Amino acid sequence: MKVSLNWLKEHVDISLSPEELGHVLTMAGLEVEGIEAVGQNLDHILAAKILEVTPHPNADRLSLCRVDTGTDIVQVVCGASNATEGVLAPLILPGGKLSDGTKMKEGRIRGEISKGMLLAEDEMGLTDDHAGIMILPESTTPGTPLSSLLPFPDWVFDVSITPNRPDCASVLGIAREISANTGKPLKSFEHGVDAKGPIIDGLTSVSIQDPDGCPRYAAAVVQDVCLKPAPFWMRYRLFQSGVRSISNLVDVSNYVMLEMGQPLHAFDYDRLGENRIEVRRAEKGEVFTTLDGVKRDLDPETLLICDGEKPVALAGIMGGLNSEIHEKTKNILVESAFFDPITIRRGSKRLGLSTEASYRFERGADIGGVISSLNRALYFINLLAGGVTAKGIMDNYSKPFTAPRISFRPEKANAVLGTSISKSAMKDYFHALEMKVVEDGNQDNLYVIPPTFRVDIKREVDLVEEVARLHGFDNIPVLSPRITPSEGSESPDLLLRDKVRTMMMAFGFSEIITYSFVSPDSVNALVGETPGALNAFTRIMNPLTVDQSVLRTSLIPGLMETARYNILHEMEDLKLFEWGKVFFDRENELQPLEKICLAGIILGVHTEKSWYNKKRPVDFYDVKGTLAVLLKGLGLEGFRFKQEKDLPGYDVSISSGIYCDDTRIGLVGFASPEVIEAYELKMGHVCLFELDVAAMLSALPEKKTFVPFGKFPAVHRDLSLVLDRRIECGVIMDIIKEEGRDLLESVHVFDLYEGERIDQSKKAISFKISFRSDRGTLDGEAVNGLYEAMVEKIGQKTGGKLREG
Amino acid sequence: MDNTLKDQLLELEKRANDEIDAINDPSDLEPFRIKYLGKKGALTSLMKSLGTLSHEERPEAGKFANQIKVNLSRHFQDVKLSLEAGRGGDVAPMDVTLPGREPLYGHLHPITLVIKEVCLIFSRMGFRVVKGPNVELDYYNFEALNLPKDHPARDMQDTFYISQNVVLRTHTSPIQVRVMETQKPPVSVIAPGKVYRRDSDVSHTPMFHQVEGLLVDRDVSFGELKGTLTHFIHQMFGSDTRLRFRPSFFPFTEPSAEVDIRCVICGGKGCRTCSHTGWLEILGSGMVDPEVYGFVDYDPDGYSGFAFGMGIERIAMLKYGIDDIQLFFKNDMRFLNQF
Ligand SMILES: [Zn+2]
Repeated sequence: MKVSLNWLKEHVDISLSPEELGHVLTMAGLEVEGIEAVGQNLDHILAAKILEVTPHPNADRLSLCRVDTGTDIVQVVCGASNATEGVLAPLILPGGKLSDGTKMKEGRIRGEISKGMLLAEDEMGLTDDHAGIMILPESTTPGTPLSSLLPFPDWVFDVSITPNRPDCASVLGIAREISANTGKPLKSFEHGVDAKGPIIDGLTSVSIQDPDGCPRYAAAVVQDVCLKPAPFWMRYRLFQSGVRSISNLVDVSNYVMLEMGQPLHAFDYDRLGENRIEVRRAEKGEVFTTLDGVKRDLDPETLLICDGEKPVALAGIMGGLNSEIHEKTKNILVESAFFDPITIRRGSKRLGLSTEASYRFERGADIGGVISSLNRALYFINLLAGGVTAKGIMDNYSKPFTAPRISFRPEKANAVLGTSISKSAMKDYFHALEMKVVEDGNQDNLYVIPPTFRVDIKREVDLVEEVARLHGFDNIPVLSPRITPSEGSESPDLLLRDKVRTMMMAFGFSEIITYSFVSPDSVNALVGETPGALNAFTRIMNPLTVDQSVLRTSLIPGLMETARYNILHEMEDLKLFEWGKVFFDRENELQPLEKICLAGIILGVHTEKSWYNKKRPVDFYDVKGTLAVLLKGLGLEGFRFKQEKDLPGYDVSISSGIYCDDTRIGLVGFASPEVIEAYELKMGHVCLFELDVAAMLSALPEKKTFVPFGKFPAVHRDLSLVLDRRIECGVIMDIIKEEGRDLLESVHVFDLYEGERIDQSKKAISFKISFRSDRGTLDGEAVNGLYEAMVEKIGQKTGGKLREG
Repeated sequence: MDNTLKDQLLELEKRANDEIDAINDPSDLEPFRIKYLGKKGALTSLMKSLGTLSHEERPEAGKFANQIKVNLSRHFQDVKLSLEAGRGGDVAPMDVTLPGREPLYGHLHPITLVIKEVCLIFSRMGFRVVKGPNVELDYYNFEALNLPKDHPARDMQDTFYISQNVVLRTHTSPIQVRVMETQKPPVSVIAPGKVYRRDSDVSHTPMFHQVEGLLVDRDVSFGELKGTLTHFIHQMFGSDTRLRFRPSFFPFTEPSAEVDIRCVICGGKGCRTCSHTGWLEILGSGMVDPEVYGFVDYDPDGYSGFAFGMGIERIAMLKYGIDDIQLFFKNDMRFLNQF
């Protein structure tokens, strides 16, 4: 809510500077988001009288005005049609500044000298009016500085109103808070009118069919009003609060809404069928055209204001075109009502129509302020539009409101706050907030009755907050918390996550975080023609874009997209990982399965050429080795890599599952040509991996147990074989492990050769095998026996032979 | 000290020095070392004879002999180095300016770094880290947090819906309810995670991160809320950081407080970052509203507590001087490499 300081000052004395007031409001819970000075820069602007207007010799639309500046008579060029002889208007002289920052200079316009400029209101930032120059009262003396003519300087406060404080969406509400927080009393204001018209009972009636939706509806009638623009001061305040000026009558209802917080509506009395009001629910299929010209389909969610024949307004939301005030309006009926917040909110949501009125009603208006606001409006109507006011107000208060009587324990308040505020100080706070305090002799308890505008105060704890606010949050002591260690342990994946991140970082990987939502097409390149598990999307009903319309089922698209982005920006050697959730829709479950995954990508150059290294591109064994160390480092034992085809997103010939026993815990391999193409990367050497964190956790041994290390020396043997190229190294290692039995300590591949020195269909592979016993020094003969058994078994199973020489 | 022994030592030293200076061939080094410095060498045998001296004489003589051994060894090493370098006397030391063999080192995402730091501060205070689902029931995200279907405060957060009663969580607060549902007080937890709001412009991303905190016990007061968060802010932003608590509104806390710190950019004078207020909003907090206890079956008269939540991107932006929130999710290496 934007509100002028001078307007606030009409309701409460303020001796603070704008900054100090801003602080007081913010610390009272009305956060001031900005304070804007208005009319502070009116230097060099003064009242000038137009003495003579002659046509500009070189421009049809411009005239030359001779104006009296009080000290001088000068010529200015002007284009406004209301610049006529005898009129007084603001004149800016060279040196002055317009509200948009333009500095005024003396100059020639189409060849004619202009010693200044006659100004419209918007050029000074006062309103948005640019219909013509601003006309000043005839009584003004030429030469008077404009700043002394207007209620300036002024400051506009931008106050953020929390949803629980609809009462503060008004000048009066903010003034009340200032009063409560500074101790200055509220001022009284003009309201009501000496009614000289007929008695209202003979002019109209109000019937309410839905008292729950409309507990109170008051109406007044004013006859023979005169429709015209509102005066400058009212238009100025509306403009600063962000409301457009329409006409004196409409402006009055908006002005009173901003001032008192009570939305009002003025109907053309003569356009109301049978001149009466009826409040009812809309029927299904009913159609109604609102003031903005939009035809709206209604249903019983919406509450309607009707006349004797037809709907004339959407209650609490917007008036109708059919009863709008227009140029020929003579008689008006002014509505001031209270509508049920939930009814208004549902109607407004249902129609997708939110207005200043609905904003206030759905948060809760002041049922006790209905009549005083109406009287305030009648005062302004009489002042600005004349007319004869009917005697009395039609007040149908069908469901009277009873204010809550809240039991309040001062001691409880002090316990919650950690304070020792006296009971009498608390009572003073309540009184300052216009709350009634009742005591029934019980020392430990008070009864507090909030005023009708405080719809947020219902319970003891609400009063505790009021005590805290008025006492000042700053004055509540800062206490050390006493924290009892809480039960339960942290989820094991959290611990794992920290370890994984640290290790991945040490392996040279950088962490990325991508959006959880993706395009449903993002998995197309991974799954190919036939939809698979990765297509089990959880869909967002109201996505921002189709590219963010489903929850991701894989981390690979995010990694690929990130790779593409970085390559486009000339960062081509990448090692990235993401730890995050993927989501799988489940039948018969409201929520998807949320699975934590670790995934990564390596591409480009593994090692740059340097004084100690040759350049080498990334390959499968880089990522495999990384994963092996990662898994070992996390404490996983006995995992193995098994070649697999048809892994979504992976190259058919270079992809592998990672297994612990029979459980697949992850995938690793080259990205498939389809994936590489989809992300416009260069072919080859894009390695991917994915690990399922839950599967890893369940494969982890429950606890770590120390194993005593061997005291006796190890015996080493080298084993060099020539075998068919298609035989996997893992097969040989398995045989070695099996035959080595419990004496085998480790196997290490130290050489691999494929080339012209051996048969094309063969490869040579060399192992270093270590044996150790925990019972004694190994005897060479025993080891030789094992070694020979291995060679024999390898020969039998794979046809591999010892390499000669 | 026995002058004879001293003379013998000095003479030995001179002879050895002369001999070593005459060496030109590296292969003569080892025989020299054995002759003088080896286990059975001349110097060693002389030193053994120290044993025949009296108790009074022995320390001084031992020191003297040892000094000669040290000098001689040093001289021997110098000669050895210069001969091995192939240039008599003029040794080229190792070029320490040649780049070392550097292992690759990656980077953690700044959001991760900030979450870790926040969680560490609270863990040290005794809070336990917990988590909850990203796709949340309306009940946990709103209703049980005292945000019924027709509550205007629902407008404060624009929500992504999965179905009528399922949403992408708009804050980490539903975790509070889930924890209280399964655990009786005392409770002290901290819950980091992703949250989602239907909002995307220069200063908003539709996904971001929050950390939520909750403490419920007997007689917990607003004063302790102030103490806890003051400690946190001093740890996070420095112990001289000024902060203030000001009244605000959250449906699930009462009283509610917004916590501001003095603008780290302008120091309070007013700048664009702080919208010329001199203060930066860092945390939302408050005493847990009794309505919430009703949903989790806690006795509102027996227990009290506080909850708080903060946006991680905002803290990271202030901490590292990042001016564009979009950078967090572009994952540009030129950005990531800086953390
Ligand atoms: Zn600042």
